[in-house]
Amino acid sequence: MRRRRDTGVALLMLGPLLVLLGIFVLWPLLHAVWISFSTWSFYEAPVFVGLENYVNVLTDEEFSASVMRGLAFSAMVVPTQVVIAFVFANLVKSVSGRVATVLKVTIYIPVVVSEVIAAIVFSLIYAYKGGLLNWFLGLLGAGEDTAWLGETATALPAVAVPAIWIGTGLASLIMLAGLLDIPEVYYECASLDGAGAWTKMTRITLPLMKNIILFLLVTGFAASLQFLVVPLVMTQGGPLDSTMLPNLFIFRHFTNDLYVGYSIAAALLLFVVLGAISAIIFRLVRSEKAVDG
Amino acid sequence: MLRYPLAALFVVATLFPLAWTAVAGFKSKTEVVATPFQFFPEVWQWDNYSRMLADEAFLRSLGVTFAGAVLFAALSLVVNSLGAYVFARLEFAFKRTLWVIVLTTMFVPAIAIMLTSFIVVTQLGMLDSLTVLVIPGAASGAQVFFLRQYYLGLPTALEEAAQLDGAGPWKIFTRIFVPLSKGAFVVVGATSFLAFWNSYIWPVLTITDPSLFQVQQYLATFRSDRTSEMALLMAGSTLAALPVIVLFLIFQRQIIAGVRLSGLK
Repeated sequence: MRRRRDTGVALLMLGPLLVLLGIFVLWPLLHAVWISFSTWSFYEAPVFVGLENYVNVLTDEEFSASVMRGLAFSAMVVPTQVVIAFVFANLVKSVSGRVATVLKVTIYIPVVVSEVIAAIVFSLIYAYKGGLLNWFLGLLGAGEDTAWLGETATALPAVAVPAIWIGTGLASLIMLAGLLDIPEVYYECASLDGAGAWTKMTRITLPLMKNIILFLLVTGFAASLQFLVVPLVMTQGGPLDSTMLPNLFIFRHFTNDLYVGYSIAAALLLFVVLGAISAIIFRLVRSEKAVDG
Repeated sequence: MLRYPLAALFVVATLFPLAWTAVAGFKSKTEVVATPFQFFPEVWQWDNYSRMLADEAFLRSLGVTFAGAVLFAALSLVVNSLGAYVFARLEFAFKRTLWVIVLTTMFVPAIAIMLTSFIVVTQLGMLDSLTVLVIPGAASGAQVFFLRQYYLGLPTALEEAAQLDGAGPWKIFTRIFVPLSKGAFVVVGATSFLAFWNSYIWPVLTITDPSLFQVQQYLATFRSDRTSEMALLMAGSTLAALPVIVLFLIFQRQIIAGVRLSGLK
Protein backbone atom coordinates (compact mmCIF):
# COMPACT_ATOMS: atom_id res chain seq x y z
CA MET A 1 0.00 0.00 0.00
CA ARG A 2 1.47 3.27 -1.05
CA ARG A 3 0.02 6.66 -0.23
CA ARG A 4 -1.65 9.07 -2.60
CA ARG A 5 0.32 11.62 -4.55
CA ASP A 6 0.64 14.92 -2.77
CA THR A 7 2.35 17.07 -5.36
CA GLY A 8 0.98 20.39 -4.12
CA VAL A 9 1.96 20.10 -0.50
CA ALA A 10 5.22 18.38 -1.41
CA LEU A 11 6.34 21.26 -3.59
CA LEU A 12 5.30 23.71 -0.90
CA MET A 13 7.43 21.95 1.71
CA LEU A 14 10.29 21.60 -0.75
CA GLY A 15 9.98 25.26 -1.69
CA PRO A 16 12.62 26.77 0.59
CA LEU A 17 15.15 24.08 -0.31
CA LEU A 18 14.61 24.33 -4.05
CA VAL A 19 14.58 28.13 -4.08
CA LEU A 20 17.79 28.41 -2.07
CA LEU A 21 19.61 25.72 -4.04
CA GLY A 22 18.36 27.31 -7.24
CA ILE A 23 19.50 30.84 -6.43
CA PHE A 24 22.76 30.06 -4.66
CA VAL A 25 24.00 26.88 -6.33
CA LEU A 26 22.33 26.02 -9.63
CA TRP A 27 22.07 29.51 -11.09
CA PRO A 28 25.66 30.40 -10.13
CA LEU A 29 26.77 27.12 -11.69
CA LEU A 30 25.00 27.82 -15.00
CA HIS A 31 26.23 31.38 -14.96
CA ALA A 32 29.78 30.17 -14.29
CA VAL A 33 29.59 27.83 -17.27
CA TRP A 34 28.40 30.71 -19.45
CA ILE A 35 31.11 33.07 -18.19
CA SER A 36 33.77 30.44 -18.85
CA PHE A 37 32.91 30.76 -22.57
CA SER A 38 33.08 34.54 -22.63
CA THR A 39 35.14 37.54 -21.70
CA TRP A 40 33.39 38.90 -18.68
CA SER A 41 34.19 41.56 -16.14
CA PHE A 42 32.18 43.49 -13.62
CA TYR A 43 32.25 46.51 -15.91
CA GLU A 44 31.48 45.28 -19.43
CA ALA A 45 28.89 43.24 -21.27
CA PRO A 46 30.14 39.70 -21.91
CA VAL A 47 31.38 38.65 -25.35
CA PHE A 48 31.20 35.01 -26.38
CA VAL A 49 34.70 33.68 -27.08
CA GLY A 50 34.11 29.93 -27.32
CA LEU A 51 36.88 27.82 -25.87
CA GLU A 52 39.42 30.61 -25.61
CA ASN A 53 39.47 30.67 -21.80
CA TYR A 54 39.88 26.92 -21.66
CA VAL A 55 42.71 27.04 -24.16
CA ASN A 56 44.38 29.74 -22.11
CA VAL A 57 44.08 27.65 -18.97
CA LEU A 58 45.37 24.48 -20.56
CA THR A 59 48.35 26.24 -22.10
CA ASP A 60 49.18 28.19 -18.94
CA GLU A 61 52.27 26.72 -17.37
CA GLU A 62 51.48 28.29 -14.03
CA PHE A 63 48.17 26.46 -13.94
CA SER A 64 49.64 23.08 -14.83
CA ALA A 65 52.39 23.70 -12.28
CA SER A 66 49.76 24.32 -9.61
CA VAL A 67 47.94 21.13 -10.56
CA MET A 68 51.17 19.11 -10.38
CA ARG A 69 51.87 20.73 -7.02
CA GLY A 70 48.34 19.77 -5.93
CA LEU A 71 49.01 16.16 -6.92
CA ALA A 72 52.29 16.15 -5.01
CA PHE A 73 50.47 17.63 -2.04
CA SER A 74 47.75 14.94 -2.29
CA ALA A 75 50.43 12.28 -2.43
CA MET A 76 51.86 13.59 0.84
CA VAL A 77 48.54 14.04 2.61
CA VAL A 78 46.09 11.34 1.54
CA PRO A 79 48.06 8.09 1.96
CA THR A 80 49.38 9.33 5.29
CA GLN A 81 45.85 10.08 6.45
CA VAL A 82 44.53 6.71 5.36
CA VAL A 83 47.39 4.82 7.01
CA ILE A 84 46.98 6.75 10.27
CA ALA A 85 43.21 6.21 10.12
CA PHE A 86 43.72 2.48 9.61
CA VAL A 87 46.12 2.17 12.53
CA PHE A 88 43.81 4.31 14.63
CA ALA A 89 40.72 2.22 13.83
CA ASN A 90 42.47 -1.02 14.71
CA LEU A 91 43.79 0.52 17.89
CA VAL A 92 40.36 1.75 18.98
CA LYS A 93 38.87 -1.67 18.31
CA SER A 94 41.46 -3.35 20.52
CA VAL A 95 41.24 -1.12 23.61
CA SER A 96 38.62 -0.94 26.35
CA GLY A 97 35.45 1.14 25.93
CA ARG A 98 36.55 4.16 27.91
CA VAL A 99 39.93 4.50 26.19
CA ALA A 100 38.17 4.00 22.86
CA THR A 101 35.84 6.92 23.62
CA VAL A 102 38.73 9.16 24.63
CA LEU A 103 40.53 8.28 21.40
CA LYS A 104 37.48 8.90 19.21
CA VAL A 105 36.76 12.25 20.80
CA THR A 106 40.41 13.32 20.68
CA ILE A 107 41.02 12.48 17.05
CA TYR A 108 37.97 14.49 16.01
CA ILE A 109 38.85 17.70 17.88
CA PRO A 110 41.12 19.08 15.09
CA VAL A 111 38.17 18.65 12.70
CA VAL A 112 36.11 21.17 14.68
CA VAL A 113 38.92 23.70 15.06
CA SER A 114 39.10 26.22 12.22
CA GLU A 115 41.67 26.09 9.45
CA VAL A 116 42.62 29.68 10.24
CA ILE A 117 43.60 28.71 13.77
CA ALA A 118 45.44 25.64 12.49
CA ALA A 119 47.37 27.88 10.10
CA ILE A 120 48.23 30.35 12.86
CA VAL A 121 49.37 27.65 15.27
CA PHE A 122 51.43 25.73 12.75
CA SER A 123 53.16 28.82 11.42
CA LEU A 124 54.36 29.52 14.93
CA ILE A 125 55.50 25.92 15.31
CA TYR A 126 57.55 26.42 12.14
CA ALA A 127 58.90 29.81 13.19
CA TYR A 128 62.59 30.25 12.42
CA LYS A 129 63.25 32.01 15.67
CA GLY A 130 61.84 30.44 18.81
CA GLY A 131 59.84 27.89 16.85
CA LEU A 132 59.04 24.57 18.40
CA LEU A 133 60.17 22.42 15.48
CA ASN A 134 63.66 23.90 15.25
CA TRP A 135 64.04 23.55 19.00
CA PHE A 136 62.95 19.93 18.91
CA LEU A 137 65.29 19.10 16.02
CA GLY A 138 68.04 20.93 17.88
CA LEU A 139 67.50 18.57 20.80
CA LEU A 140 67.91 15.67 18.40
CA GLY A 141 71.20 17.14 17.29
CA ALA A 142 70.35 19.04 14.12
CA GLY A 143 72.77 21.90 13.72
CA GLU A 144 71.24 24.60 11.55
CA ASP A 145 67.82 26.08 12.12
CA THR A 146 65.46 25.92 9.14
CA ALA A 147 63.00 28.56 7.96
CA TRP A 148 60.36 25.92 7.22
CA LEU A 149 57.89 28.24 5.52
CA GLY A 150 60.58 30.37 3.91
CA GLU A 151 62.28 27.76 1.75
CA THR A 152 60.80 26.28 -1.39
CA ALA A 153 61.91 22.76 -0.51
CA THR A 154 60.21 22.62 2.89
CA ALA A 155 57.17 24.89 2.50
CA LEU A 156 54.85 22.38 0.81
CA PRO A 157 55.49 19.55 3.28
CA ALA A 158 55.11 22.13 6.05
CA VAL A 159 51.62 22.96 4.73
CA ALA A 160 50.83 19.24 4.34
CA VAL A 161 51.27 18.55 8.06
CA PRO A 162 48.36 20.73 9.25
CA ALA A 163 46.30 19.28 6.38
CA ILE A 164 46.92 15.81 7.78
CA TRP A 165 46.24 17.03 11.30
CA ILE A 166 42.89 18.54 10.24
CA GLY A 167 41.67 15.73 8.01
CA THR A 168 42.64 12.57 9.84
CA GLY A 169 39.81 12.69 12.39
CA LEU A 170 37.03 12.24 9.88
CA ALA A 171 38.88 9.54 7.93
CA SER A 172 39.60 7.70 11.18
CA LEU A 173 36.01 7.61 12.33
CA ILE A 174 34.78 6.42 8.93
CA MET A 175 37.49 3.76 8.90
CA LEU A 176 36.47 2.68 12.40
CA ALA A 177 32.80 2.40 11.42
CA GLY A 178 33.81 0.12 8.55
CA LEU A 179 36.07 -1.97 10.74
CA LEU A 180 33.37 -2.49 13.36
CA ASP A 181 31.01 -3.67 10.61
CA ILE A 182 33.09 -6.75 9.95
CA PRO A 183 31.35 -9.60 11.79
CA GLU A 184 33.43 -10.89 14.69
CA VAL A 185 32.54 -14.45 13.63
CA TYR A 186 34.96 -14.21 10.71
CA TYR A 187 37.86 -13.61 13.04
CA GLU A 188 36.73 -16.35 15.44
CA CYS A 189 36.50 -18.89 12.64
CA ALA A 190 39.91 -17.84 11.38
CA SER A 191 41.36 -18.27 14.88
CA LEU A 192 39.91 -21.78 15.09
CA ASP A 193 41.66 -22.58 11.84
CA GLY A 194 44.87 -21.34 13.38
CA ALA A 195 45.19 -18.03 11.53
CA GLY A 196 47.51 -15.49 13.12
CA ALA A 197 47.08 -11.73 13.36
CA TRP A 198 48.84 -11.11 10.03
CA THR A 199 46.70 -13.63 8.14
CA LYS A 200 43.53 -12.14 9.62
CA MET A 201 44.66 -8.68 8.60
CA THR A 202 45.51 -9.58 5.01
CA ARG A 203 42.76 -12.15 4.41
CA ILE A 204 39.81 -10.66 6.28
CA THR A 205 40.27 -7.03 7.29
CA LEU A 206 41.93 -5.56 4.21
CA PRO A 207 39.72 -7.27 1.58
CA LEU A 208 36.56 -6.27 3.47
CA MET A 209 37.78 -2.72 3.99
CA LYS A 210 38.64 -2.26 0.32
CA ASN A 211 35.59 -0.12 -0.44
CA ILE A 212 36.09 2.12 2.56
CA ILE A 213 39.77 2.62 1.84
CA LEU A 214 38.92 3.46 -1.76
CA PHE A 215 36.23 5.88 -0.59
CA LEU A 216 38.68 7.59 1.77
CA LEU A 217 41.34 7.82 -0.92
CA VAL A 218 38.95 9.42 -3.39
CA THR A 219 37.28 11.84 -0.98
CA GLY A 220 40.66 12.65 0.55
CA PHE A 221 42.10 13.32 -2.89
CA ALA A 222 39.20 15.63 -3.77
CA ALA A 223 39.47 17.44 -0.45
CA SER A 224 43.24 17.88 -0.61
CA LEU A 225 43.09 19.33 -4.13
CA GLN A 226 40.62 21.89 -2.78
CA PHE A 227 42.80 22.84 0.16
CA LEU A 228 42.79 26.62 0.33
CA VAL A 229 42.58 28.37 3.69
CA VAL A 230 45.75 27.03 5.31
CA PRO A 231 48.16 27.97 2.49
CA LEU A 232 46.31 31.26 2.02
CA VAL A 233 46.83 32.24 5.64
CA MET A 234 50.21 30.60 6.20
CA THR A 235 52.18 31.41 3.06
CA GLN A 236 49.91 33.16 0.52
CA GLY A 237 51.25 30.58 -1.92
CA GLY A 238 54.90 31.46 -1.46
CA PRO A 239 57.81 31.31 -1.29
CA LEU A 240 58.17 31.46 -5.07
CA ASP A 241 54.76 29.79 -5.57
CA SER A 242 55.94 26.63 -3.82
CA THR A 243 52.64 26.35 -1.91
CA MET A 244 50.42 27.73 -4.69
CA LEU A 245 47.91 24.86 -4.71
CA PRO A 246 45.26 24.73 -7.48
CA ASN A 247 42.44 26.29 -5.45
CA LEU A 248 44.69 29.03 -4.18
CA PHE A 249 45.88 29.70 -7.73
CA ILE A 250 42.25 30.07 -8.86
CA PHE A 251 41.35 32.14 -5.82
CA ARG A 252 44.22 34.54 -6.46
CA HIS A 253 43.08 34.98 -10.06
CA PHE A 254 39.51 35.60 -8.88
CA THR A 255 40.59 38.34 -6.56
CA ASN A 256 43.17 39.92 -8.89
CA ASP A 257 41.93 39.54 -12.46
CA LEU A 258 39.66 41.99 -14.19
CA TYR A 259 38.37 39.32 -16.59
CA VAL A 260 37.24 36.32 -14.62
CA GLY A 261 36.46 33.92 -17.47
CA TYR A 262 39.94 32.47 -17.14
CA SER A 263 39.72 31.56 -13.46
CA ILE A 264 36.19 30.22 -13.78
CA ALA A 265 37.26 28.04 -16.69
CA ALA A 266 40.16 26.77 -14.60
CA ALA A 267 37.89 25.99 -11.65
CA LEU A 268 35.34 24.19 -13.81
CA LEU A 269 37.96 22.26 -15.71
CA LEU A 270 39.64 21.05 -12.56
CA PHE A 271 36.50 20.12 -10.76
CA VAL A 272 34.36 18.65 -13.49
CA VAL A 273 36.97 15.93 -13.72
CA LEU A 274 37.33 15.67 -9.97
CA GLY A 275 33.58 15.81 -9.31
CA ALA A 276 32.92 13.16 -11.94
CA ILE A 277 35.48 10.82 -10.40
CA SER A 278 34.04 11.31 -6.91
CA ALA A 279 30.47 10.89 -8.08
CA ILE A 280 31.25 7.67 -9.92
CA ILE A 281 33.12 6.15 -6.99
CA PHE A 282 30.43 7.36 -4.60
CA ARG A 283 27.77 5.57 -6.66
CA LEU A 284 29.82 2.40 -7.06
CA VAL A 285 30.53 2.12 -3.36
CA ARG A 286 27.01 2.97 -2.33
CA SER A 287 25.10 0.96 -4.92
CA GLU A 288 25.58 -2.25 -2.97
CA LYS A 289 23.45 -1.04 -0.09
CA ALA A 290 21.40 1.73 -1.66
CA VAL A 291 17.86 2.24 -0.50
CA ASP A 292 15.84 3.16 -3.54
CA GLY A 293 14.22 6.61 -3.40
CA MET B 1 51.60 -4.38 24.98
CA LEU B 2 52.08 -1.47 22.61
CA ARG B 3 48.43 -0.45 22.58
CA TYR B 4 48.35 1.99 25.42
CA PRO B 5 51.59 3.83 24.59
CA LEU B 6 50.29 4.09 21.02
CA ALA B 7 46.96 5.43 22.29
CA ALA B 8 48.82 7.98 24.40
CA LEU B 9 50.88 8.97 21.38
CA PHE B 10 47.71 9.57 19.36
CA VAL B 11 46.24 11.76 22.08
CA VAL B 12 49.42 13.78 22.57
CA ALA B 13 50.12 14.29 18.85
CA THR B 14 46.53 15.37 18.22
CA LEU B 15 46.10 17.72 21.14
CA PHE B 16 49.63 19.07 21.32
CA PRO B 17 49.20 22.01 18.89
CA LEU B 18 46.08 23.16 20.72
CA ALA B 19 47.53 22.70 24.18
CA TRP B 20 50.57 24.64 23.10
CA THR B 21 48.38 27.44 21.76
CA ALA B 22 46.56 27.72 25.06
CA VAL B 23 49.82 27.67 27.04
CA ALA B 24 51.48 30.21 24.73
CA GLY B 25 48.60 32.54 25.56
CA PHE B 26 50.01 32.72 29.08
CA LYS B 27 53.43 33.88 27.93
CA SER B 28 54.78 37.38 27.70
CA LYS B 29 55.12 39.18 24.38
CA THR B 30 58.79 38.35 23.93
CA GLU B 31 58.73 34.95 25.53
CA VAL B 32 56.51 33.39 22.87
CA VAL B 33 59.16 33.86 20.18
CA ALA B 34 62.19 33.54 22.46
CA THR B 35 65.13 31.29 21.69
CA PRO B 36 65.71 28.75 23.05
CA PHE B 37 62.14 27.54 22.89
CA GLN B 38 60.33 26.82 26.12
CA PHE B 39 57.00 25.04 26.34
CA PHE B 40 55.87 26.56 29.62
CA PRO B 41 56.07 30.26 30.45
CA GLU B 42 58.50 31.52 33.10
CA VAL B 43 55.64 33.28 34.79
CA TRP B 44 52.05 32.33 34.05
CA GLN B 45 50.18 35.52 33.32
CA TRP B 46 46.55 36.12 32.47
CA ASP B 47 47.34 39.37 30.76
CA ASN B 48 46.80 38.20 27.15
CA TYR B 49 43.51 36.53 27.94
CA SER B 50 42.18 39.48 29.88
CA ARG B 51 43.29 41.87 27.16
CA MET B 52 41.54 39.84 24.48
CA LEU B 53 38.40 39.65 26.60
CA ALA B 54 38.50 43.43 26.92
CA ASP B 55 39.09 43.94 23.18
CA GLU B 56 35.82 45.26 21.82
CA ALA B 57 36.48 44.28 18.21
CA PHE B 58 37.26 40.72 19.23
CA LEU B 59 34.20 40.43 21.45
CA ARG B 60 32.04 41.89 18.71
CA SER B 61 33.35 39.35 16.22
CA LEU B 62 32.60 36.54 18.67
CA GLY B 63 29.08 37.87 19.23
CA VAL B 64 28.31 38.45 15.55
CA THR B 65 29.68 35.05 14.57
CA PHE B 66 27.73 33.36 17.34
CA ALA B 67 24.47 35.04 16.35
CA GLY B 68 25.05 34.18 12.70
CA ALA B 69 25.92 30.58 13.52
CA VAL B 70 22.74 30.11 15.55
CA LEU B 71 20.58 31.58 12.79
CA PHE B 72 22.42 29.52 10.18
CA ALA B 73 21.94 26.28 12.13
CA ALA B 74 18.24 27.03 12.65
CA LEU B 75 17.64 27.86 8.99
CA SER B 76 19.58 24.78 7.84
CA LEU B 77 17.50 22.57 10.09
CA VAL B 78 14.16 23.91 8.85
CA VAL B 79 14.99 23.94 5.15
CA ASN B 80 16.86 20.64 4.97
CA SER B 81 14.62 18.59 7.25
CA LEU B 82 11.51 19.64 5.32
CA GLY B 83 13.21 18.64 2.10
CA ALA B 84 14.42 15.36 3.55
CA TYR B 85 10.94 14.46 4.79
CA VAL B 86 9.35 15.16 1.43
CA PHE B 87 11.89 13.03 -0.43
CA ALA B 88 11.65 10.23 2.13
CA ARG B 89 7.87 9.96 2.39
CA LEU B 90 5.80 11.83 -0.19
CA GLU B 91 4.96 10.89 -3.77
CA PHE B 92 4.86 13.72 -6.27
CA ALA B 93 5.52 14.75 -9.83
CA PHE B 94 9.18 15.08 -10.91
CA LYS B 95 10.36 13.47 -7.66
CA ARG B 96 13.26 11.59 -9.24
CA THR B 97 14.41 14.56 -11.31
CA LEU B 98 14.35 16.88 -8.31
CA TRP B 99 16.17 14.32 -6.18
CA VAL B 100 18.92 13.99 -8.76
CA ILE B 101 19.24 17.79 -8.87
CA VAL B 102 19.54 18.00 -5.08
CA LEU B 103 22.16 15.23 -5.09
CA THR B 104 24.08 16.96 -7.87
CA THR B 105 24.47 20.10 -5.78
CA MET B 106 26.54 18.02 -3.33
CA PHE B 107 29.25 17.73 -5.96
CA VAL B 108 29.49 21.35 -7.01
CA PRO B 109 32.80 22.60 -5.61
CA ALA B 110 32.63 25.89 -3.75
CA ILE B 111 35.37 27.49 -5.83
CA ALA B 112 33.58 26.91 -9.14
CA ILE B 113 30.59 28.98 -8.07
CA MET B 114 32.35 31.34 -5.68
CA LEU B 115 32.49 34.25 -8.08
CA THR B 116 29.03 33.82 -9.59
CA SER B 117 27.52 33.41 -6.10
CA PHE B 118 29.25 36.64 -5.24
CA ILE B 119 27.58 38.28 -8.25
CA VAL B 120 24.18 36.97 -7.09
CA VAL B 121 24.53 38.30 -3.55
CA THR B 122 25.82 41.62 -4.89
CA GLN B 123 22.78 41.99 -7.13
CA LEU B 124 20.48 41.05 -4.26
CA GLY B 125 22.09 43.79 -2.15
CA MET B 126 23.14 41.32 0.52
CA LEU B 127 26.78 42.37 0.92
CA ASP B 128 27.94 43.49 4.36
CA SER B 129 25.02 42.04 6.26
CA LEU B 130 24.46 38.87 8.25
CA THR B 131 22.05 37.63 5.58
CA VAL B 132 24.88 37.09 3.10
CA LEU B 133 26.52 34.72 5.57
CA VAL B 134 23.39 32.99 6.80
CA ILE B 135 21.18 32.44 3.75
CA PRO B 136 23.27 31.29 0.75
CA GLY B 137 24.77 28.19 2.36
CA ALA B 138 21.79 27.07 4.42
CA ALA B 139 20.32 24.65 1.88
CA SER B 140 22.64 21.68 1.67
CA GLY B 141 22.31 18.58 -0.49
CA ALA B 142 24.52 16.67 1.92
CA GLN B 143 22.32 17.44 4.91
CA VAL B 144 19.14 16.60 3.01
CA PHE B 145 20.77 13.32 2.05
CA PHE B 146 21.77 12.59 5.64
CA LEU B 147 18.34 13.41 7.09
CA ARG B 148 16.53 11.48 4.35
CA GLN B 149 18.57 8.37 5.15
CA TYR B 150 17.56 8.82 8.77
CA TYR B 151 13.87 9.21 7.90
CA LEU B 152 13.92 6.17 5.62
CA GLY B 153 15.00 4.18 8.66
CA LEU B 154 12.01 5.27 10.77
CA PRO B 155 9.06 2.83 10.98
CA THR B 156 5.91 3.88 9.09
CA ALA B 157 3.35 2.53 11.58
CA LEU B 158 2.92 5.79 13.50
CA GLU B 159 2.29 7.96 10.46
CA GLU B 160 -0.08 5.38 8.93
CA ALA B 161 -2.16 5.56 12.10
CA ALA B 162 -2.05 9.35 11.92
CA GLN B 163 -3.08 9.26 8.25
CA LEU B 164 -6.11 7.16 9.15
CA ASP B 165 -7.01 9.91 11.61
CA GLY B 166 -6.84 12.37 8.74
CA ALA B 167 -3.47 14.01 9.46
CA GLY B 168 -1.79 15.63 6.45
CA PRO B 169 1.93 15.84 5.65
CA TRP B 170 2.46 19.04 7.67
CA LYS B 171 0.95 17.55 10.77
CA ILE B 172 2.80 14.27 10.34
CA PHE B 173 6.06 16.10 9.87
CA THR B 174 5.74 18.45 12.85
CA ARG B 175 4.06 16.01 15.23
CA ILE B 176 5.80 12.74 14.40
CA PHE B 177 9.03 13.33 12.48
CA VAL B 178 10.36 16.37 14.30
CA PRO B 179 10.06 14.81 17.77
CA LEU B 180 11.73 11.63 16.48
CA SER B 181 14.61 13.57 14.89
CA LYS B 182 16.42 14.79 17.98
CA GLY B 183 19.63 12.85 17.36
CA ALA B 184 19.78 13.70 13.67
CA PHE B 185 18.91 17.35 14.35
CA VAL B 186 21.75 17.59 16.86
CA VAL B 187 24.16 16.40 14.16
CA VAL B 188 22.84 18.76 11.49
CA GLY B 189 22.58 21.70 13.88
CA ALA B 190 26.03 21.20 15.36
CA THR B 191 27.78 20.66 12.02
CA SER B 192 26.08 23.75 10.58
CA PHE B 193 27.11 25.78 13.60
CA LEU B 194 30.70 24.56 13.32
CA ALA B 195 30.87 25.23 9.59
CA PHE B 196 29.62 28.77 10.09
CA TRP B 197 31.91 29.48 13.02
CA ASN B 198 34.96 28.27 11.12
CA SER B 199 34.21 29.78 7.72
CA TYR B 200 36.73 32.25 6.39
CA ILE B 201 36.78 32.56 2.59
CA TRP B 202 33.14 33.57 2.07
CA PRO B 203 33.21 36.21 4.85
CA VAL B 204 36.43 37.63 3.41
CA LEU B 205 34.69 38.13 0.07
CA THR B 206 31.38 39.47 1.35
CA ILE B 207 32.07 41.31 4.60
CA THR B 208 34.18 44.46 4.52
CA ASP B 209 32.49 46.30 7.38
CA PRO B 210 34.74 45.72 10.43
CA SER B 211 31.74 45.77 12.77
CA LEU B 212 30.51 42.58 11.07
CA PHE B 213 33.90 40.82 10.92
CA GLN B 214 33.63 37.12 11.61
CA VAL B 215 35.89 35.65 14.25
CA GLN B 216 38.16 33.85 11.73
CA GLN B 217 38.47 37.09 9.78
CA TYR B 218 39.43 38.88 12.95
CA LEU B 219 42.14 36.31 13.73
CA ALA B 220 43.58 36.25 10.20
CA THR B 221 43.65 40.05 10.07
CA PHE B 222 45.29 40.17 13.48
CA ARG B 223 47.93 37.71 12.30
CA SER B 224 48.91 39.78 9.29
CA ASP B 225 48.60 43.22 10.94
CA ARG B 226 50.06 42.74 14.40
CA THR B 227 52.97 40.35 13.91
CA SER B 228 54.73 41.32 17.10
CA GLU B 229 51.84 40.30 19.35
CA MET B 230 51.86 36.54 18.89
CA ALA B 231 51.16 35.72 22.52
CA LEU B 232 48.03 37.83 22.33
CA LEU B 233 47.03 36.08 19.10
CA MET B 234 47.52 32.69 20.76
CA ALA B 235 45.18 33.74 23.56
CA GLY B 236 42.65 34.96 21.00
CA SER B 237 42.89 31.72 19.00
CA THR B 238 42.32 29.72 22.16
CA LEU B 239 39.28 31.78 23.06
CA ALA B 240 37.94 31.46 19.50
CA ALA B 241 38.42 27.67 19.45
CA LEU B 242 36.92 27.13 22.87
CA PRO B 243 33.20 27.49 21.98
CA VAL B 244 33.34 24.93 19.17
CA ILE B 245 35.39 22.48 21.22
CA VAL B 246 32.90 22.77 24.09
CA LEU B 247 29.99 22.37 21.66
CA PHE B 248 31.63 19.26 20.22
CA LEU B 249 32.33 17.78 23.65
CA ILE B 250 28.71 18.28 24.70
CA PHE B 251 27.35 16.51 21.63
CA GLN B 252 30.30 14.22 20.87
CA ARG B 253 28.25 11.02 21.11
CA GLN B 254 25.69 12.16 18.52
CA ILE B 255 28.27 13.79 16.25
CA ILE B 256 30.51 10.73 16.21
CA ALA B 257 27.49 8.50 15.60
CA GLY B 258 26.52 10.90 12.81
CA VAL B 259 29.86 10.43 11.06
CA ARG B 260 29.07 6.73 11.04
CA LEU B 261 25.64 7.36 9.52
CA SER B 262 26.86 9.80 6.91
CA GLY B 263 30.00 7.87 6.05
CA LEU B 264 29.05 4.87 3.99
CA LYS B 265 25.89 3.45 5.45
